[in-house]
Amino acid sequence: MNTKTVGVIGAGTMGAGIALVCIRKGHQVVLLDANQAVLDKALAYLQSILGKDVEKGKISEQERADTLARAKLVSDMEQLAQCDIVIEAVPERLDLKKSIFSELSRICRADALLLTNTSSISITQIAGGLPHPERILGFHFFNPAPVMPLVEVIRGKKSSEENVQAAYRFATELGKVPVLVTDTPGFIVNRIARPYYNEALRILGDHVAEVEQVDRIMKRAGGFKMGPFELQDMIGIDINFATTESVYTDFFHEGRFKPSRIQQRMVQAGSLGRKTGEGFYDYDK
Amino acid sequence: MTMTNKAVVLAGTSPLFAELQQLFTEKGYQVLSVAEAAAEPAAVSLAVEVSNLDLQQKGELIRALDSLLAPAVPILTTSLAITATEVASWAQHPKRVCGFGTLVPLAERELIEIAPALQTAPATIQAAEVFFQSLGKETEIVADEVGLVFPRILSLIINEAAFTLMEKAATASDIDIAMKKGTNYPYGPLEWADRIGLDEIFAIVRGLQRDLAEERYRPAPLLRKLVLAGRVGVRSGQGFYTYESKVGVKA
Repeated sequence: MNTKTVGVIGAGTMGAGIALVCIRKGHQVVLLDANQAVLDKALAYLQSILGKDVEKGKISEQERADTLARAKLVSDMEQLAQCDIVIEAVPERLDLKKSIFSELSRICRADALLLTNTSSISITQIAGGLPHPERILGFHFFNPAPVMPLVEVIRGKKSSEENVQAAYRFATELGKVPVLVTDTPGFIVNRIARPYYNEALRILGDHVAEVEQVDRIMKRAGGFKMGPFELQDMIGIDINFATTESVYTDFFHEGRFKPSRIQQRMVQAGSLGRKTGEGFYDYDK
Repeated sequence: MTMTNKAVVLAGTSPLFAELQQLFTEKGYQVLSVAEAAAEPAAVSLAVEVSNLDLQQKGELIRALDSLLAPAVPILTTSLAITATEVASWAQHPKRVCGFGTLVPLAERELIEIAPALQTAPATIQAAEVFFQSLGKETEIVADEVGLVFPRILSLIINEAAFTLMEKAATASDIDIAMKKGTNYPYGPLEWADRIGLDEIFAIVRGLQRDLAEERYRPAPLLRKLVLAGRVGVRSGQGFYTYESKVGVKA
């Protein structure tokens, strides 16, 4: 495996996790965030996780220091000029992503792979109108990125086959399991998982079964690790609702993806799940 | 006969038939066909009917059991493709009809759902619970709607996977890998469908569309065509995947 210089844009939970995955595999990482406090937190996170790796005997103190030294934290985008690959992991806002890829198109080499970690925005739309759209692809990690093995490699309308293959290989080199998907709403996972939540909500709304019953049935009859309501509470009901709305809109309102009023009311009430102490279940606040 | 109080009739064409027959036998029940029960109807303590794809055949079986068996004998019927209430409406003695739902392989089902019809008598519901618990299963009583809870949710996940595959957005194997690795599903939806039987899944989705009449429940055309072509999964050697033999490994 050849060592690459990987830029990671956005040092929040996703970005810091992706940076960790990359430095652990020997790549040089330039982790970018405009906010110094976020960068400081990301550095503390990397130090903490690698410190735990030493405590557990997974790596030596020297390896810890070497791994950490591969991460360079920056706040100036021009520093990404030498990157072979850039992975963008900023919040899911089209305007933000478009402006970042526009900047990257100017700053980076024409053969640099430009990847977006979006879970819900069209790759084709992000790349649209930019020079060299053939190098722009989706590269969707799952949260938490260091733990979850899957990466969806998403082929935009203008992504080249060569670059799709390169991104696929890169995911494999990171120790991840890549899957290939064309640029359709929700890609694979967020699309096919929609009925797990939506139909459970429908069943609840029609009083076919109640929250605890549905969760128990899906675990005991179906072998799912978590019931759909427990899972919504863990993901965040607002996040789950936003994903459903996005898939629904992008499919031009096909009935299969119609969001649930129950879920909408919970978002309106601020009952967002574990993070607010209450969702479909009550948690200790 | 010593076994008379434990004789049950099993009827229908779902893939559940073979596994239920085996499970009933293991648990000490004498399993009779409708024809065998006709010879000695008084011996029968309970009937189970499991047709899902062919509702006309389901109606014929329910009517036959209803006229054959004493009015107090419970008839438990799969309400995967049709509500228990509608099935009960076919019977002269609707109080003894109760819906239930599960999917093969039964070894993986710790719990079986019971859905009483609006007409079901409390004694019938209790008999259904006692019966499934005697098979070593937990029970959960839910309201009567097509597909109950687990079969309904899983079928719609599989239906969406079939749409995704039909659109060639991803390969079957990438779809299954993604759902297992990205969300910890116990099986990929397409391999799961092949194990359950595409005919069962199609019957549920079509039943939801028929009863609830919403675009939401439109069966994926690919799912429908595979069923029409007899490619119902592992059982037939071909479904979303091809199998070397009927019990074989994914090709």
